Amino acid sequence: MAEKDRVYKCLNPIGMQMPVKTFPLAPRLDTIEGKTIYVSIGAGGEQDITIPLPGKLESKYPNVNWKITRAAAHLTIAGSVALSEEQMKTADGLIRGVVW
Amino acid sequence: MPHLTTYEKAGIPSVFIIYGDQRECWEWAARLNGVPGLRTVHASRTVPGPEDIDTFIEDLVDGLTRPLTDEEQEGGMWAPREKRILFEGTLEDAEEFYMQTDKVPNLQNASIARYTDGLPIVVPTEGRVEAMLKGTSHRPEEVISFHDDHKLGDRSSQMGNSGRKGDAVRYLPLMRTATVENVATIAVMAGCKPEYMPVLLAIAESGGGCSDGRGGVGFCVSGPIGREIDMNFDVNVLGPGNQANRSIGRAAELMWRNFGGNIPAVTNVGVWGNALTNCIPENAEGLPPGWKGLNEEYGFKKDDNVLVIIPAGAMHRVQFSPGGYRALQKSGHGGIARRLDVKGIPGPHNWLEFFMPGLWASREGALTILMLPEMAQHLYEYGFKSKDEIYEWLYKQSFTSMKEYKTHSWPDMRTNAWMGIEKTSGKHWKELPDDYMVPSINDPRDNNIIVTGGGEESAQWMAGRSAAANPAFNIDTWR
Repeated sequence: MAEKDRVYKCLNPIGMQMPVKTFPLAPRLDTIEGKTIYVSIGAGGEQDITIPLPGKLESKYPNVNWKITRAAAHLTIAGSVALSEEQMKTADGLIRGVVW
Repeated sequence: MPHLTTYEKAGIPSVFIIYGDQRECWEWAARLNGVPGLRTVHASRTVPGPEDIDTFIEDLVDGLTRPLTDEEQEGGMWAPREKRILFEGTLEDAEEFYMQTDKVPNLQNASIARYTDGLPIVVPTEGRVEAMLKGTSHRPEEVISFHDDHKLGDRSSQMGNSGRKGDAVRYLPLMRTATVENVATIAVMAGCKPEYMPVLLAIAESGGGCSDGRGGVGFCVSGPIGREIDMNFDVNVLGPGNQANRSIGRAAELMWRNFGGNIPAVTNVGVWGNALTNCIPENAEGLPPGWKGLNEEYGFKKDDNVLVIIPAGAMHRVQFSPGGYRALQKSGHGGIARRLDVKGIPGPHNWLEFFMPGLWASREGALTILMLPEMAQHLYEYGFKSKDEIYEWLYKQSFTSMKEYKTHSWPDMRTNAWMGIEKTSGKHWKELPDDYMVPSINDPRDNNIIVTGGGEESAQWMAGRSAAANPAFNIDTWR
């Protein structure tokens, strides 16, 4: 067989994708009326949206218990936490900006 | 991102505001963190925030209340498998196979190579990979893991890399793992020699050029292995021509593509890419007396071989005119001498002073300086008897008034919108008067000096490091 016709097995450079357990979305709310919904103001570039957002939500949906939570400084692990464990106990819903 | 899926998993319906062009990247991140259906609304990149809200405020409520689709109610397992043998055929056909590209709509339909950096590669046949593996005693099936504890950057940790000794390294953004054989495969493709393997495996342990998922890092080899594998320490250290410098740097980029799964604007949200393509060696013999090499700075011995991650998202040149720097040091001649107020006075002079004005006018943070041996020697003769003295000097230079600091961009985020505590005063940011001076560098040891290269009259600088992180990886454990 000519060298140019020789068949080679060639290896894969791609790393191994580790299996990921996937979850369904949480059940949705039947209504937001009377519910406690957190608006998380992150420390990233989303603030021009998330700072005025709670006021607009309160004005348009006055019968919701809107709560504001503020993230820690950007680029820190705490900075990506929208709700504390305590807040998660009372939260019926969450709105968060992730505008990179 | 891992935190953003916590809430749905805990039964709290959530909806996120993102930009529309981040859609694919968001979907990848959501899948990798176990909630592929995470709901979003899209904000505009151009409409002012308050006005933009009106266009999606009802969609936010809809995201919380709209009944789930069948697909959104599904759980399960996402487990794509990669086969060991990727292609079987002639070398000519293999070359074509590995050069496949995909059109990426997010890149105005530009092509991105599926397995390469865009250039032809050496086909990784079984035989060639086997030969490459002779460059290390580690077994091909060994999963690349951390040999020591490493404090990684917060964002790398957020994204799922632990840095803990014994844990498998997760390549970001797709959180893949890799084996020694995968690294040898990349090494063949990049045009490396077997003796580079310990360095390549240390690069793989350090995250394979993927950083926090966006790349933008380079690598410096500290220790005698640089000469052992024939790296270029001298003129053109950043340029082409030396097989080790270039092919090791190339291998890191192939890891970025194949281990991290990076596809620009699809799986990551970087902007410019990497400015430093070579892996560079530190020139320990060019260090002035008393100045530590990078290996010693990170607690290793002078003869230990260490791989250090350096920021390489952008590089800047300290620019002196031809002969201008030499005239300054010889006789205090020229514009540099006028700026330093040493006209007519022979050197040594502190040339760092020349590029300080305006350095923190529109940026914050420390510097990594690539410094030629002669220029390091001038600083030593000027009076800096250690790198630490320069790190401290740079820190002091970085102080700026609160009035000025408040007009910068990053502090809005780093101070948590000015609600945190300023560390030099211990006071809330909002309490500080306009004339209070604050450092633009967080810690003197965020600065980093690397003595390398050859020739004269020029230095390069880029972003600094984090004194809190440990980006130094032992090469010798990978022999």
